[in-house]
Amino acid sequence: MRLLAALATLLVLVGYSTGASAHAALISVEPTSGSLLQSAPKAVELRFNEAVTPGAIQLIDGAGRARDDARVTTSGESISVAMPPDLPQGTVVVSYRVISQDGHPVAGSVIFSIGAPTATKPPANADGRLNALIWLSRIGLYLGLFVGVGGVFFARWISRSMAGMGAPRAALLVGLPSAIVSLGVLGLDLLGLPPAALVTAAPWTVAFVTSAGPALLVAIAAMLLALMALGRAWHARALAAVAFAGVGLSLAMTGHAATAPPEVPTRPAIFFHGLAVAFWIGALAPLAALLSKPTPAVLPLLNRFSRIAMPVVAALALTGLTLAIIQLEKPSALVETSYGLILSVKLALVLSLLGLAALNRTRLTPALAKDQRAAPALRRSILFECGVALGIFAVVAGWRFTPPPRTILPETPLAIHIHTDKAMFQVLVSPGKAGVDDFVLQLMTGEATPLKVKEATLTLSLPERGIEPMERDAELGPDGYWHVRKVELPFAGRWHVRIDALVTDFEKVTLEDELEVAPR
Amino acid sequence: MSKTPWLILMAALAASPAAAHVYLEGKQATVGASYKAVFAVPHGCSGSPTVKIRVQIPDGVIAVKPMPKAGWNVDVVEGQYASAYDYHGNKLTSGVKEVVWSGGKLPDHNYDEFVVSSFLTDSLKPNTTLYFPVVQECEKGVSRWIEIPAEEAGPSHEGKSPAPGVKLLPKP
Repeated sequence: MRLLAALATLLVLVGYSTGASAHAALISVEPTSGSLLQSAPKAVELRFNEAVTPGAIQLIDGAGRARDDARVTTSGESISVAMPPDLPQGTVVVSYRVISQDGHPVAGSVIFSIGAPTATKPPANADGRLNALIWLSRIGLYLGLFVGVGGVFFARWISRSMAGMGAPRAALLVGLPSAIVSLGVLGLDLLGLPPAALVTAAPWTVAFVTSAGPALLVAIAAMLLALMALGRAWHARALAAVAFAGVGLSLAMTGHAATAPPEVPTRPAIFFHGLAVAFWIGALAPLAALLSKPTPAVLPLLNRFSRIAMPVVAALALTGLTLAIIQLEKPSALVETSYGLILSVKLALVLSLLGLAALNRTRLTPALAKDQRAAPALRRSILFECGVALGIFAVVAGWRFTPPPRTILPETPLAIHIHTDKAMFQVLVSPGKAGVDDFVLQLMTGEATPLKVKEATLTLSLPERGIEPMERDAELGPDGYWHVRKVELPFAGRWHVRIDALVTDFEKVTLEDELEVAPR
Repeated sequence: MSKTPWLILMAALAASPAAAHVYLEGKQATVGASYKAVFAVPHGCSGSPTVKIRVQIPDGVIAVKPMPKAGWNVDVVEGQYASAYDYHGNKLTSGVKEVVWSGGKLPDHNYDEFVVSSFLTDSLKPNTTLYFPVVQECEKGVSRWIEIPAEEAGPSHEGKSPAPGVKLLPKP
């Protein structure tokens, strides 16, 4: 236990020294996504909320060609993509894939048009097979850490018996290759490479520089130590304890939750959450095995486990709750975001697990004390717990694909382009969903030169829902564009947009179009 | 049955803004003849009294002379015409482009008229509508009667604040 305390202290120090980091999110893009520009920008500037490492950055020009002559430079939170000088007119797509400090890739696209919009499309980059591999290797890793290392810890410290070690051994043998595969597929994901590229060094080196690299090394070390503790008696208890601490350490070193600010509580919370899971879940398989051939020694063992498990489960719930609150920010995110939905499913599974545990403790264990024949019922219940635990691993591994709500920022704005002989207006609506939206009006003449106007007004109506025209005056921003902020769009649907731009006292340019507003 | 009065009221409300624009008295004018344009101002800007009326003179309208008005200053803004016009043997290349009445005060509940004498040259196309955009400035706010419908749009497709217009007839 002193060892654990030392490790926890170390962890707090690590938390202090790495500074703020989290799942990266794009804060601003210059030029704004959806913009219509008169001439090609010198560079596209992407600014994130934390320092990022560029993974794969791709430029597709207005003629639809992928360009390899875009120079990428990074300084801290900003990535600058220098545009080649000979960029043709049309819609340009800059797709980026960067590595955030939690070790996860963050991908997106910036789309803008030079002169006039064309039909350039961002590249499709969701690879189903790669995602499946990422997910499966993560489940394998959890099995190795929780069932494997946790099981060995149970054998060496709680039951003091090496009976029923088949499942933990198998879990360790699954976990070790899973950890290695995790590292490789992370590298592929970061660089946007096909699985065949695993034979090259690039994905591995990229994965290593992320926080996931060292974390997976710690996981591998923990599983190797657990295998050693399984095999021989010499220093076995010390090895098992170090391996056990390694489980918490590995989890606390990377991932959404570990790197969520404030890190001072989140990293230790993850650490103890991981230890508690390993303690509880690790004990299940050996206990089930012991109950299949019950001996008189099983009952005191069950009672001892049950006594320690109470505070452990309390710690599990407390740390889990802390992390959930930090990640979700508001309760509605539980059902409104995919991250929250995964958490909801996890919570439901955890509640059923707790129900089973309570049943075991209050009914089935006392029954066993009275009658040896109650053992099969308890064993079935524990096996069922194992199944639920596996379900939780599978669900939690899905978090890898969902950004936590605290990092979700407005997406690429909705853009409409209205073009007549007289003028050409580009209207950016962010987030482009029902609710409160910000409008940017980029006004240009028919020849794509900036149109100087004295006043601009935005009029919106939704006839299908009986919403009469609402008029808002735009304000000229320092960026030369006209802004209308915080416009209430109460419903999704085809809104009618009308922009009146006063060119002189007596001349007004009016353009109208339809705007498809998505539901919230 | 009970809906009928409402429908009548709504119809009345829907119809009333059309009458509440700043408009030109007299619906027709003849090309190649003199024309007295009478701008009728039926109300202020959302209840605020009118303090200034600015009228833009379209191309092809020359020999513009505003009628002085008691309690108001009248000014003209001169500029180059788009082309030269022949007027009683003289070539005119520049003249009045804008007429401004200011310094007066017309309360919202009063009606008044602002008059300009002019000549409609042959360069104007008969059977079209000639528009005189008007900016009405009030103590509070501005109303711009400057919307000119696109050519393809019919007269029913009228904007929120149309420019006063007059139908041009061919020279008899």
